[in-house]
Amino acid sequence: MSNIIELKNVCKSFGNTEVLHNIDLSIQEGEVVVIIGPSGSGKSTLIRCINCLELISSGEVVVNSISIPSEKGKIRQVRLEVGMVFQQFNLFPHLTAVENVAFGPRKARKMNKSKAAEIAKNLLNKVGLAEFENKLPGQLSGGQQQRVAIARALAVNPKVLLFDEPTSALDPEMIGEVLDVMKSIAKDSGMTMVVVTHEMGFAAQVGDRLIFMDDGRIVEEGKPGEVMKNPQSERLKDFLSHVKHH
Amino acid sequence: MDFELSVIVESLPALLEGAKLTWIITILGIVGGMVCGVLAGLGRIAGTEALGEEPHGIFKPISIVIRYISAGYVETIRGTPIIVQAMFLYFAFPMLVKAVTDIERFRIEALTAAVITIIFNAGAYIAEIVRGSVVSVHKGLLEAGMSLGISRFQLIMYIIGPIAFRRMIPPLGNQFIISLKDTSLFIVIGVGELTRQGQEIMASNFRALEIWLTVAIMYLIMTTVLAMSLRHIERKMKIF
Ligand SMILES: Nc1ncnc2c1ncn2[C@@H]1O[C@H](COP(=O)(O)OP(=O)(O)OP(=O)(O)O)[C@@H](O)[C@H]1O
Ligand SMILES: [Mg+2]
Repeated sequence: MSNIIELKNVCKSFGNTEVLHNIDLSIQEGEVVVIIGPSGSGKSTLIRCINCLELISSGEVVVNSISIPSEKGKIRQVRLEVGMVFQQFNLFPHLTAVENVAFGPRKARKMNKSKAAEIAKNLLNKVGLAEFENKLPGQLSGGQQQRVAIARALAVNPKVLLFDEPTSALDPEMIGEVLDVMKSIAKDSGMTMVVVTHEMGFAAQVGDRLIFMDDGRIVEEGKPGEVMKNPQSERLKDFLSHVKHH
Repeated sequence: MDFELSVIVESLPALLEGAKLTWIITILGIVGGMVCGVLAGLGRIAGTEALGEEPHGIFKPISIVIRYISAGYVETIRGTPIIVQAMFLYFAFPMLVKAVTDIERFRIEALTAAVITIIFNAGAYIAEIVRGSVVSVHKGLLEAGMSLGISRFQLIMYIIGPIAFRRMIPPLGNQFIISLKDTSLFIVIGVGELTRQGQEIMASNFRALEIWLTVAIMYLIMTTVLAMSLRHIERKMKIF
């Protein structure tokens, strides 16, 4: 299978501080990659470089055969193929659930209104929120909002989905419903997923690969079960002893 | 104290004429001021992260120039009294035109000068309202929009615009009322708006109490109509 994402010698600095150091990473189509690591290790920055929310300082990011930064003019094409789910949901507060989900197909994919609404309703149904389609984000619980956000990202029919700690802002009893939706996407659609999370159960169950980052570097990677069972570095051992097991 | 209702009745037609002019200047002024204000407000933050992401290439210097022009406009208007702006436009500007070009008989009608003054004056304050509201839109929402692959124009039109507009309504209402009351200053360039009508009637019959009471009530009615229309718009928009 071909690599849908390739990071080649990627460095990223904010001002004078380099937060990603020479990252090399290839992700195959359909792969589910889980990224873990302590706070400030650069997990968010890394995945935000994939959809160009951050522009890399040096190196190359290739997504679906588009190379950034040399093809800067094609950033929108990259984003059409790379959806993102955020920790804080970031639903558009002035749009209802179904309008939020239909927004991408309508505006980014230029579909007509009824087609976009149909797609949106199907997706809301899939994430178990059919009866909430006319609610505004403010009227939904955190878990429901995050499921709408996942549907919104799916609606533009991307090849890759990025998740940045999708359950970290949720009350414990709502984490399960969101993880279930993510699991079903991974299993049913063969979607390429890059997930930053501390949910080790999720990583073990659906992850094809687990990456441990520390201080802007990939320190260890491998099959989730093996990496968790046999951590090589002291830092990963230490990290694993601190995260909860679900 | 003697209070003659008949004085009010007699002066009512002239005062209503003045009120009508006040209303016309105000409406044209705030409609034009909105256009001006949105352009200058967005201009002040052109090319910054508040409107998506920073531009590349040639757009970068262009956006800097736009920012400076917008800021210059806003600061010039905010830093000078509106009455000076009106006098400048009505008396000084034609002389300037005459000096620079060969046009001999260049003149600006008093009413035109009044409307233009309100447009540019309100525009500068509205620009600050627009800028403040746009900057206050949560950055995560912009990132959510951008990550769907929409254009900057779509981002501004469908996400930043509606969210920011909701926050603009209360301060806009404030500015509209200020602009309406500012029209009374055009008495200095001889526009026959409400205050001037009151002044002229006063000068002929010396009935200060009746006239200024009526004038005040007329202003109050107009500002109330403005305030209520904005409240109506606010209510009609979805709560979030
Ligand atoms: N916009 C920014 N400007 C300056 N520094 C930043 C910016 N974004 C991130 N950083 C810095 O980059 C480093 C990596 O941050 P990043 O958010 O990628 O970490 P993270 O692994 O996602 O952490 P967390 O688990 O807390 O989300 C941190 O030191 C952070 O302070
Ligand atoms: Mg993070």
